[in-house]
Amino acid sequence: MIVNNIQVLFGGQAGDGSLTTGDLIALVFKRMGLEVYTFKDFPSRIRGGHTNYVIRAGEQPHYGLGDMVDAMVAFDLECVEKHIAEMRPGGFVIFDNSQEKLTDAARRPDVYVYDVPLADIAKKQLGLELVRNTISLGVLGELIGMDKEIVRGLVTKQYERKGEKVVAQNIGAIEAGERYVREHFDRPSGYALRARPDGDRLLMMGNDAIGYGALAAGCRFMAGYPITPATDILEWMAKHAPRYGGTVVQAEDELAAINMTIGAAYAGVRAMTATSGPGQALMTEGIGLAGVLETPIVVVECARAGPSTGMPTKTEQSNLNHVIFAGHGEIPRVVIAPGTVEESFYLTVAAFNLAEKYQVPVFLLTEQALCQSKETLPRLELGAVTVDRGKLVRNGGVTFGEYKRFAFTEDGVSLRTVPGVEGGMHLAPGSEHNDAGVITEDAANRARMMDKRMRKLDAMRADLPRPSLFGEPEAGMAFIAFGANRGPVSEVQDRLRSVGVASKFLQLRTLWPFPEGDVRAFVAGAEHVFVVENNISGQLERLIRAVTGPVPSLHGVRKYNGRPFRPAEILDAVTRRMATLPAGVAAR
Amino acid sequence: MATTLTPKDFATATPSWWCAGCGDFGVLAALKQACAELGLEPHKVAFISGIGCSGKISGYLHSYAFHGVHGRALPTATAVKLANTDLTVIVAGGDGDGYAIGAGHFIHAVRRNPDMTYIVMDNQTYGLTKGQSSPTSMLGYKAGPHPQGNPDAPINGLAIALAAGATFIARAFSSEPKQMAEMIKEAVRHPGFGIVEVLSPCVTFNKVNTYKWFKENVYHLDDLPGYDVRDRVRAFATLTQPGKIPLGIFYREIRPTLEELMLGTGRPPIASLPIETVDPGLAALQDAYA
Ligand SMILES: Cc1ncc(C[n+]2csc(CCOP(=O)(O)OP(=O)(O)O)c2C)c(N)n1
Ligand code: SF4
Ligand SMILES: [Mg+2]
Repeated sequence: MIVNNIQVLFGGQAGDGSLTTGDLIALVFKRMGLEVYTFKDFPSRIRGGHTNYVIRAGEQPHYGLGDMVDAMVAFDLECVEKHIAEMRPGGFVIFDNSQEKLTDAARRPDVYVYDVPLADIAKKQLGLELVRNTISLGVLGELIGMDKEIVRGLVTKQYERKGEKVVAQNIGAIEAGERYVREHFDRPSGYALRARPDGDRLLMMGNDAIGYGALAAGCRFMAGYPITPATDILEWMAKHAPRYGGTVVQAEDELAAINMTIGAAYAGVRAMTATSGPGQALMTEGIGLAGVLETPIVVVECARAGPSTGMPTKTEQSNLNHVIFAGHGEIPRVVIAPGTVEESFYLTVAAFNLAEKYQVPVFLLTEQALCQSKETLPRLELGAVTVDRGKLVRNGGVTFGEYKRFAFTEDGVSLRTVPGVEGGMHLAPGSEHNDAGVITEDAANRARMMDKRMRKLDAMRADLPRPSLFGEPEAGMAFIAFGANRGPVSEVQDRLRSVGVASKFLQLRTLWPFPEGDVRAFVAGAEHVFVVENNISGQLERLIRAVTGPVPSLHGVRKYNGRPFRPAEILDAVTRRMATLPAGVAAR
Repeated sequence: MATTLTPKDFATATPSWWCAGCGDFGVLAALKQACAELGLEPHKVAFISGIGCSGKISGYLHSYAFHGVHGRALPTATAVKLANTDLTVIVAGGDGDGYAIGAGHFIHAVRRNPDMTYIVMDNQTYGLTKGQSSPTSMLGYKAGPHPQGNPDAPINGLAIALAAGATFIARAFSSEPKQMAEMIKEAVRHPGFGIVEVLSPCVTFNKVNTYKWFKENVYHLDDLPGYDVRDRVRAFATLTQPGKIPLGIFYREIRPTLEELMLGTGRPPIASLPIETVDPGLAALQDAYA
């Protein structure tokens, strides 16, 4: 019997409401005191096409998917066919056999199938096809021992808005599912849940944490053009920002979005935009403008699989180079990347402070497997949020004629007035300019101005989010990764530790300016360094090699099929390099 | 403003860049005149320009001036206005900036109706890049990439603006700075998006649409008996009538501005919000995730 450790795959056709039920399952696990990670694997279309929602729960946080699925709730044959190979031996499938019969090809001797005519029960017994998903929640709950009160409470809350009748229908559906299991199956599922205290925790999606972080950091303007997987942030902000005096514009394209963000920031409002690959490409010229105008903006990049339209709903880390290097000319910029939902909040706050303190564009780099995933986390501490507006001048005190917007300073940051401030009038030009903002192509001024702007990259070092170091600092086996790979790499470390292999893991949180010192120091004592990333060309690895010089035992572990790493895949790569690893460490 | 202002109060020390005789001088003069007569305070004016010879104008108006990237002045300005509704926001740029590379933004700025003034300095060519055809160049205009003559029919920016829902539409001529100043003043006073297209000859590259040509080819709406600026259909007919080019105010209409719709009225500018301390009310937002 496996207790408090389960990965559920809930799958069917897109648009059939499985997301709502998947969210409910995740919440039940959370309320039962477990740590949760969810992953949405949905096609880039509105209706039809296989979609699935994976919910992982355990007593420890994982921040990523496990290797195998324990329980599958399949609404059609296609779902079983697609995912039967991912099942853990001893796992089980709940299959809706109302319309289709499970084929032999879709069976495995070591995976038990509970045939439940979900659609038929919905239609014939309850007279409402819609509740099919809810019935399956009852079935799953009965099989693995979900707390009945919690389930009923959450279902009630979920459907409250739709009225008592709908609540009653869904509670009836839960009961019908539970009853069906009791009446038809003696066989235990092999899984059980034992409730633990929930505590004061949250279950939050990465994109929501970014929106919330922005609001807490004082962001009061957002412009964006809808694009998966970034749209959630635009919608979250549109829902919440007005209450705090802010506003959100749905721009006509990303060119408008970035220039609006710059406009609002220029006028003194903390401003951001959020986009993904294709939109990022369109924003490139604007980012350069923000750099040369020294206008603080935050650009959230929710990476998806490229190039071009690529795979809009799939995950990838292939635009690391893009956010770091894209643009004609050279500007100081910052790229920071959270590895968990909780970190998404705190790094968003950091992004706004860095932007304003150093008057630079700051990228918050996230990716589909993190920004559209939910995780359990402790309550976010608003007390830990500070707002540092740097050298912003909002209330006068400058004299026209003396004041120079782009004054040469030691740290490269100049006093920044905004429209409305008396005495601070100046021209802010995208063309090269002198300290007063007057356009000039003077050679000496050009070099001096470039130095001034780029100096900020050094000045900001102490304020940049440091990498997180996990494991034993002296270990010979080392991992470097960023973003959503925080989860799977940490899990690989746990497994190695359980067979007596020590390792260390450097999760980079600032990617630009590149944390050279930290990376060099980390790599120095290691026998083998595995750089884990989701792209084909080893973008992170190249950045590392550029600062370390040749490292003979630096190995790329790369995945680029649009799906996040499973721990076993990383372990596989490790075992291939390390013949001496104890057996049995790989798949779990 | 206690003291009366003169156009000089809006001058900058930066020497202007334009060729002698360029129509853009007239635009600058009229703009300074309008700002002075409106009693605007320079620090409360945000002046955002496009890229082109025309776009250089932001360097010559004493104000908070912003010279961004080609074609994107309108979205920038829209956000400036939303960020601080206390500002007078004025945008200026060329026909290429507004009607070619920025055409998408043009339509959307118009339909949003933010309270701002947009001056299109139309010389029917790309001055800064040395005289290529622009979206308003006449058919057959011979220029760089069009040695055989421009094959693309010119567009009518003001008619497009009207179709897109513009609430104030005017056209001025660089040689008539007094009338232009009046139109700019009206546009600034207009509560909504005011567009003033200015015929602003490029003396260096456009040898077709010269001062002389314009003088022979313009007429004034004032001379049209019974013209009513509230008549949208008549405005459209007048704007699209082939032949001579009409000057004057074509259309005006009052409808809610973007700021009114998005921010409501009577609220402090977003830029003035005290964000330094985190609103404790924000904590409750987490309850939805508990
Ligand atoms: C993205 C981009 N593409 C091209 C250019 C080159 N460019 C500068 S100004 C201009 C055209 C300007 O024409 P218009 O807007 O009519 O201004 P004018 O110079 O005629 O006043 C072009 C194509 C640029 N600066 N940026
Ligand atoms: S090139 Fe034409 S538009 Fe440009 S400054 Fe000279 S006359 Fe004016
Ligand atoms: Mg032009």
